[in-house]
Amino acid sequence: MDAHLSWADHRIFNGSGEPFVFGVEDASLFSLSPDAYETLCKWRTSEFVDPDKIPLTELEVLDGLRDAQILLPVSREKLLPAHLEPENVPLSTLVLEVAQDCNLRCTYCYAEAGTYGAAPCLLAPATARRAVRYLLDNSGDREHVTLVFFGGEPLLNMQAVKAATSEAISYGRIIGKEVHFSLTTNGTLLDPEIVTFLHANRVSVAVSMDGPRHIHDRNRPDEKGNGSYSEIVSRLGPLLENSPVPVAARVTLAPDQWRSVVEVFDHLIGLGFHEVGIAPVSPVSKALLPTAGQEAELLKGFGLLVRRFVADARKGLVMPFSNILDLLGRLHLGQTKPVSCGAGFGYMAMDAKGRFFPCHRLAGQTDFCVGSLQTEINTDRINSCLDSLNNGRKQSCSKCWARTLCAGGCHYENHLRENLLDLPRGTSCTFIRAWLDLGMRTYAELRTDGAIEAMGRRLEGRAQC
Amino acid sequence: MKRKRPIQALNEKARAIQSLAEGEDKSVTALQDGPPPMPVGCTTIFDTGWETNPRPTYPVGNCMASARDFHGCAGDCWWPAQVPDGLTNHEDFDKQCPNVVRDWRLLKFD
Repeated sequence: MDAHLSWADHRIFNGSGEPFVFGVEDASLFSLSPDAYETLCKWRTSEFVDPDKIPLTELEVLDGLRDAQILLPVSREKLLPAHLEPENVPLSTLVLEVAQDCNLRCTYCYAEAGTYGAAPCLLAPATARRAVRYLLDNSGDREHVTLVFFGGEPLLNMQAVKAATSEAISYGRIIGKEVHFSLTTNGTLLDPEIVTFLHANRVSVAVSMDGPRHIHDRNRPDEKGNGSYSEIVSRLGPLLENSPVPVAARVTLAPDQWRSVVEVFDHLIGLGFHEVGIAPVSPVSKALLPTAGQEAELLKGFGLLVRRFVADARKGLVMPFSNILDLLGRLHLGQTKPVSCGAGFGYMAMDAKGRFFPCHRLAGQTDFCVGSLQTEINTDRINSCLDSLNNGRKQSCSKCWARTLCAGGCHYENHLRENLLDLPRGTSCTFIRAWLDLGMRTYAELRTDGAIEAMGRRLEGRAQC
Repeated sequence: MKRKRPIQALNEKARAIQSLAEGEDKSVTALQDGPPPMPVGCTTIFDTGWETNPRPTYPVGNCMASARDFHGCAGDCWWPAQVPDGLTNHEDFDKQCPNVVRDWRLLKFD
């Protein structure tokens, strides 16, 4: 051993099962035997560890901790975190705001009834075709790219959806690339012809549904104020039957509905969705900001779903709860993030006027416009936009154990909370850490049981998407 | 029998870090770089690599396990192998066969 060793940033998890340790810089997870746990607890408060002064009985554990890079030679140079520049990251996903208009008036909409704050407008099919070529031409050596049809309500503009799809297939064929399609819809305009189109092109469809009628209708009324539940349910059947790709329900719940997550999940699976993901609403107004008690209720609900996930996993089944599947996928690989998401780094949104934004949530906000189909994407603008959202955040995150998994959180959520609602930095951190904590404990439990083995590949696939 | 280590890797990253310490970095890259000692993947229907691979985890430098091959062909992936159509006609095939390596004889889909 080297003469002196010091501790890498780590966090010990101790609960009902075997204790384990999380190596923060690497996102590594190691289980600890009782001896290892005791030895680690004993020595971790010392800034330096001198192997010559360690009792022989504890040397094996310290050796193991060194192999695990929880204990590092003092002489070892600190690795700088990977630095990404937008100009070095080719496009992988383009979100097309095909319709900046919507036939629903969801209470929590961040896009102002789908318009993104402008007069309602549709993406011209010719512009959609140009955008697809732009995506493919700027995708570097990627063999697969993703085109997302978004809105507003994208089914209001099937003309553009069809134009973009046919361009993606024909131009993709010419230059030897494959385009995956995905589409997020409120489901009220689905008809047999549209469903046939979606199935034929293997479009991954996410339907925004918030659960049973009493919850969904409160959140998602139409222009006249009538709930949209019945309309959607009457149109779902053909989409769900014989779909070549899984159809997901994407749920948004307001804080006072967070106690209902289990009911919501069960209801949507009962409707026949292949997968359900539940998002807490973004606080587009102060009224939608949760209390600490409501956050606790949400975590409790997620916790109950996760217990069921674990019980299913032990039987060799995969419960299609997107939230935990996505998190376990990342924890399984030990993926660390130099940036919080792909916004501006391969992921880009384009509005109906052909202007680019780092993310669909930031679309329509002139301050975050980073170019257009005419001018192309300006990578300096991407940097300055993201810097304006994250100024000094790296520093404030530098002591957090979750930093390599979270990397600062959602840009848009931070923008809402810090710039528009004038809240101090970090109001979502407690929730994020609690959710990551739950994910890690779940992963360790499933790994110790051996239940993770059966779903390992599936988890990896999710994390690499 | 090998004694259990006091510190065991749980996730793939941890496994890679431990392998690195042991100079076994091959186990991390074997399926990506360089020729493995045996062909990766064999038959188009069932990969029989499991027969020579008693380990419960993914084999390294060996044929890929039938489990890996099988799940790679099912669900939302496309692969020219004969697996149950997990999206439409046999969505519960997992239930019949929770562990392919162990339970493959239970698969009786038409």
